[in-house]
Amino acid sequence: MEVLNVIFNILTSGLPCCLLAIGVFLTFRLLDFADMTAEGSFLLGAALTAACIYRGINPFLATILGMLVGVICGIITGVLNRILKIPKLLSGIITLTASASIALMIMGITNPQDFFGTQIPLASKLSPDSPVQTIYSIFYPWNQWNRLVETIVMVVIVLIVIVGIYYFFGTEYGMAIRATGMNEKMARSQGINTTIATITCIAISNGLIALAGALYVQDALSVSTVSATGYLVIGLASILIGEAIFGKRSFKNWLISVALGAILYFTIITIAIKLGLPTQLKSLLYAVLITIALCIPLIRKGITHLIKKIGRKKQTC
Amino acid sequence: MLELKNVTKSFNLTGVKEDLRVALDHINLQIESGEFVTIIGGNGSGKSTTMNIITGVVKPDEGQVLLNNVDITKMDEHQRASWFGHVFQDPMMGTSGDMSVLENLEIAYRRGRRHSPFAWGFKKENKKEFIKELQRFGLGLEDRLNQKVGVMSGGQRQALTLLMATLRNKPTHKVVKRDYIRFSEKDHKVAEREFDEVYIPALREYKNEVKDIKKDAKLNRKERKQAKLEAYERFDKKVRKFDLTKQILLLDEHTAALDPKTAKKVLELTDKIVKENEMTTLMITHNMKDAITYGNRLIMFHMGHIIYDVKGEEKQKLTVEDLLKKFDEADQKAEQQ
Repeated sequence: MEVLNVIFNILTSGLPCCLLAIGVFLTFRLLDFADMTAEGSFLLGAALTAACIYRGINPFLATILGMLVGVICGIITGVLNRILKIPKLLSGIITLTASASIALMIMGITNPQDFFGTQIPLASKLSPDSPVQTIYSIFYPWNQWNRLVETIVMVVIVLIVIVGIYYFFGTEYGMAIRATGMNEKMARSQGINTTIATITCIAISNGLIALAGALYVQDALSVSTVSATGYLVIGLASILIGEAIFGKRSFKNWLISVALGAILYFTIITIAIKLGLPTQLKSLLYAVLITIALCIPLIRKGITHLIKKIGRKKQTC
Repeated sequence: MLELKNVTKSFNLTGVKEDLRVALDHINLQIESGEFVTIIGGNGSGKSTTMNIITGVVKPDEGQVLLNNVDITKMDEHQRASWFGHVFQDPMMGTSGDMSVLENLEIAYRRGRRHSPFAWGFKKENKKEFIKELQRFGLGLEDRLNQKVGVMSGGQRQALTLLMATLRNKPTHKVVKRDYIRFSEKDHKVAEREFDEVYIPALREYKNEVKDIKKDAKLNRKERKQAKLEAYERFDKKVRKFDLTKQILLLDEHTAALDPKTAKKVLELTDKIVKENEMTTLMITHNMKDAITYGNRLIMFHMGHIIYDVKGEEKQKLTVEDLLKKFDEADQKAEQQ
């Protein structure tokens, strides 16, 4: 049971981050756009979904609304960058800064005295017969198998998204977006409106990140401005780990690598904490992990070199 | 016909008045359709800027760009893309390195068409055509369709770019109509009516034919498909009469980064493609011999002016010495001023 619990822990925190990693991947790798908006859209997606559910709105509608708020964030960043010609990093930071205030405003829903709030607690409101339900709890049998049901719902959503993203980036327009990210000059000379293509891609990316936020908050059952930070780094780390271990031979392979990278990342973190790593040292572990992931190609080269050397020595003997 | 009228362009990167550099100084140029123009000139003489102004990469400060007597100066690069194929000097520029040969060709094939977000981007019949086209090149690219372009040599990439610049699917009927109205030199309403008078009955006829084929119980599935295809081709032929747009190929020193042997091969390929498709072509080159050998018109740029322009027989008699002399004369003139 202990092992099963650990596996469920890994999956329920890793699966939303699959979507996060794919979202970050779309801008970071396909567009070569270091998009800081990710942090903001994750928080906003989580906050809006939690607020909607808190008010007893249908959880599926709440999740879609959460996703839409991310899409809007993405469009704003895209317009700032492509139409107002603000540098990439700065336009992301501007949206990120703005989203912090808006998140506080959304969280104010729990606080009747004040317009602003700092967190939305959902856990206490959730029970089999209350109108407040999450997309997981709708399917709950309300016994020890809750976690399993939750995982299944997450897997289904993640699979749908991965297949959808794979299909979209194989369509005529998806291919145009990929061409824009890889060689904008060529894309324009081939008649692609690169401004709209870029904005579309950033919007899709942030929509996915906000969806990840929505899935996360329905699992964690509370959201605050503090708990929903640091996710951009997690997304980047997942991409790097996935690429280094599972490769990036084709677009399909790349997409799956990134998703698996997120799961692998959480496996390492969860196991480290289970083995007795103090949670205060988590950030340090993040940094070490990212460094190792970035060095994997070098390590691989060194190992193959070493194997060759040993082989040669044996021959000479 | 492509025409530049009084085009002026100057660059000022620092904002200081002394750094203002005039790249083009009131250029007038007319290129008839079917001409193969070679362009020579020193560095910074305005050759590439001319080409970039034609395709819309940069906008001129003054003057107009006319295509078939229609002003296209204000159109963006991607809007003009259906009429121009642009090959850059840098082999990395014209292709997307992280995408496969097939993906690059699919994008090029859809130049100037709408990119649907729902339709799957790879089509079987396109692939067959790409293989046929690549076989003519004789570079062995047809067996490497799924390989990433990034792993290929500069010569292969440039040959692929050349194919991408010349390959284009037939424009859709909507585009044919739009371009007919734009370029036919008739009143817009007259042109539209003229197009519709042919198009609407032809479409109705085609639809009726398809209905009849569907009702016809004697045909099996294969025959039915064939009959439908034939009916569409007949319909398409009627509409194609209105297709006025002819592609213009712009080559910006496209062999400069290649080794002599590959450069020669790519140049020969260019000549072959241009002759087969009767394309209007502009080619910038630093090689005087190539400039004389290829094409039927030669233009020389110097300090943002066109100083020499020969056509036909006169051009064929030119020698490299003649051209060098022209350069020297121009330099001396500039020094005297």
